Amino acid sequence: MSKLFPVQEIGSLAKAKWRTKGLRQQLSSQDLSEAEEWAEKLAIQDFHDRAKSILKTSDDRERAKEVLELSTLYGLRLFETAGVDNDGVGGEQQRVEMYEHVIKAVQGMTLLGHIHSFDYKYFNKGVAESKISRKHPVYLPEFLDVKKYAHRAVKVPITGPYTLVDWSFSGYYIQKQHTSSSKTRKIEAKREFLLDIVEQIIRPEIRDLVNAGASWIQIDEPAVTTHPEPQEMELFVEAWNETVRGFDCKFSDHTCYPSEIGYKVLAEYAPKLDKCDHLALEFANRDTSRLGLDEDSREGFRDLKHFVDAGFSGEFGLGVAHVHDFTGNVSSGAGQSLGRDIIESPELVRDRLLFATKIVGDPAKIWANPDCGLRTRTWDVSLAKLASITKGAELARETYE
Amino acid sequence: MSPEIQLAGIHPRSEKLIDLTRSYERAKTSWNQVEAQLEQETRELIKFQESLGFQHISDGALGWQDQLRPIARSLKGVESGTRYSRWFDTNTFYQKPIVTGKISAGEINPDTFLRTELLTGERNRKITLPGPYTFSQLSENKHYENYPDLLFDIAVAEREIIKRLRNEGVSLFQLSEPCLVYQPYRENFRDQSEVELALRAIRSVVEDNPGEFVVQTYFGDVAPVLPKLLDLPIYGIGIDLFETDTSALREQASKALVLGVVDSRESYVEDPRWIADTARKFCDQVDVQDLVFASNTDLKFLPQEIANQKLEALSKASELFEGNR
Repeated sequence: MSKLFPVQEIGSLAKAKWRTKGLRQQLSSQDLSEAEEWAEKLAIQDFHDRAKSILKTSDDRERAKEVLELSTLYGLRLFETAGVDNDGVGGEQQRVEMYEHVIKAVQGMTLLGHIHSFDYKYFNKGVAESKISRKHPVYLPEFLDVKKYAHRAVKVPITGPYTLVDWSFSGYYIQKQHTSSSKTRKIEAKREFLLDIVEQIIRPEIRDLVNAGASWIQIDEPAVTTHPEPQEMELFVEAWNETVRGFDCKFSDHTCYPSEIGYKVLAEYAPKLDKCDHLALEFANRDTSRLGLDEDSREGFRDLKHFVDAGFSGEFGLGVAHVHDFTGNVSSGAGQSLGRDIIESPELVRDRLLFATKIVGDPAKIWANPDCGLRTRTWDVSLAKLASITKGAELARETYE
Repeated sequence: MSPEIQLAGIHPRSEKLIDLTRSYERAKTSWNQVEAQLEQETRELIKFQESLGFQHISDGALGWQDQLRPIARSLKGVESGTRYSRWFDTNTFYQKPIVTGKISAGEINPDTFLRTELLTGERNRKITLPGPYTFSQLSENKHYENYPDLLFDIAVAEREIIKRLRNEGVSLFQLSEPCLVYQPYRENFRDQSEVELALRAIRSVVEDNPGEFVVQTYFGDVAPVLPKLLDLPIYGIGIDLFETDTSALREQASKALVLGVVDSRESYVEDPRWIADTARKFCDQVDVQDLVFASNTDLKFLPQEIANQKLEALSKASELFEGNR
C-alpha cells in the first residue's frame, strides 16, 4: 500500500442480537430496531427493503442467508465508517467463532462441549473421531458476499491448521499410536492430525478462495507461540509451508497473546515461513496506557525487535488497541477508561506507531490494527477504537509529511 | 486401603452454568441466577465426590476465573486487570498479576477462595492454590530489584492467606507448582540455585503444618526435581504421569505421591484397568508410602461430563488397584 500506516482490522466483530436470533427464528420489527439505528449510523441505504424481506420470509434457510448477508454488509460499513483501509470480511459475521466454524465443516470431528477460556468466555472443543475430510467449504460463501459489498481491499482471515489441531482433542489420532511413551504418542498424533488438516481442509479452502479472487489471506495461528519448543516450532513451519505451497496470493500470519518468550521464538522461525509477507501481532495488551516514545512507556513493543533482529523482512501489523476488558489507569491524554473498556486516544496510537517505526526502521512496513478481533467489545466501542486508530495513523503520517 | 482420590484443581462448569454466565455477561441474566446455579453445581460436585469415596472434599472452584486471581486480588502491592496472558500451553488465559509495590497479605475474604457454607458437613476440606514460586514466575515484577525478595514476600503473604483458610476448616492445601517442571516460557531454564530458592519459599509456607500440604507439579517432567521435593516437609507430591519419564524414577518415597494418572488434556476416558495397571507399574519402580489418584492437572480443560467420567474411572481404578495388589 502506498500510504504510510494503513489501518486494517484483524477479524471478528461482536454479533448483533438480531443477527444471532435471526439465524434461529423469525424476527419481529422490534428485533430489527437496533439494526435500523445502526443503518443510519452506517448509511445502509436499502435497509428498509432488506428488513421487509427478512421479516416477510417464512423460509428459515432463506432468512438465515439474508441475515448473514446483511450483518456482513454492516460489518464492512462499520470498518469503512471508521476509516479502515482493509475491510477484511466484515467482522466474520458468518462464522460462529474462529474454531467451531471450521470444525463444523470437518467430517470425522465432533464438538464435545465448552471449555473455559477466560472470564466468561468459552470455546466448544472438538475431537477427531476418525480420519478427517472436508464436508463443505467453510469460508467461500462469506467471501462471495464480501466481494459483492466491499468498497475497499479485502483480506480473508482463516484459522490456521496448527491452531485447529492444538485446540482439539486428538482422539482417533492419538489412540492409533502404539509407542509406549505418552509424550511421544502425543507428538506423533499431532503431526499426523496436523498434516491431514492441512491437506484435507485448509488447502482446499485456500484453493476455493484464491479461485474466487482472494488476493490476501491472513492465517490466524494464536496457538503457535504456546509451544516454543523447537520440535513444535519446526512442525508449525512444516505445516505453514505446506499450506501455502503453490498458491499465488499474499499471506500473513496473525498471532496474539503468546507466553513471555513466545514472540521471541516466533521471531526466530518467522523468516522460515514461505510467502509470509506480513505479521499481525498483539502489543497494546502488554503496553502502558500513557503517552511517550521512550522505552519505558512503550515497553509492550519491546518484542518487535526480535523479529527485526531475526531478519524478518516483511510488513508488521501492530496491535495498537487493546481488545479485552481493561480496568486499569489511563494517563492524561492517552485515552479514556469507560466501564470495562479503554478507548485509546489517537495520540497514544500515534506514539505506538512511531516507536515501532524506530525499531523497524521503515514506516512503509507498518500497518495499524487492534491487537486481535474486536468480538468482545460492543459495536460502539469497536467503532470508537477503530476511529481512534485511523486518527492516530493520520497523526503518525503527518510526522513524515 | 485403596488409594484415595482427589480433585487436583478447578473443575469444569456445566453447559448450563456456561450458558448462564454468558447470558449474565450480555446483561440478559441476573447474577442471582448465576449464583443459584453455581451453588447447585457445587453441591452436586461435593455429593459426587462423596459418592466416589473421596476423603478430602473440594468445592471445585467453579467460580474461579483463573488459577491466580483469588490470590492476586488478596495481595497488597499487586494489581491486575489490564493484561491477559496464556496459561502455559493451553487455550486458556489468566489476568497477569502486576507487582507494583511491596507484597503483603491484604484483606483476605475466604469467600473469594472457598464455598465454606456448602462444605459444612465436610471435615476434610481441600483447596488448590498456586504455589509461591509459580505465582512469582507468572507475575510481572515492576517493583522488586531482587527476585528472592519478591518470592519470599509472596510466600509470607500466602502463609497469611493459608492461615485464614485453615480457620475456615481447610485441612489439605495443594500448592500447584507447574513452573518447577515446565519452563519453555523462559529464555533461560532454571538452574539448581533457583530450584533451591523455590523450595525454600515453599518450605517457608508449609513449615508450621507440614502434614497439610501437597505440592503438585504438572505440564512437565518431575523426575529431575523429585529427589529434592521428597525432602520437603509435606504430606505429598503430585506428579503428571503424562509428562514424566517414569523410567528415570528410582526413589523411595516417604510421603504420599499424588499420581496424575488421567489426562485432563485429552477427551478419551481412561480404562480403570489401565489406570490401575499404570499405578502398579509405577509402584514397582518407586517405593511409595501412600498413593493418591488424581487427574494430572485441573480438569477444567475438559467438558464437565467427560471430567466426571474420568473421576468415576479413577474411583473404579482405585478399587481394582487394591483388589489385585
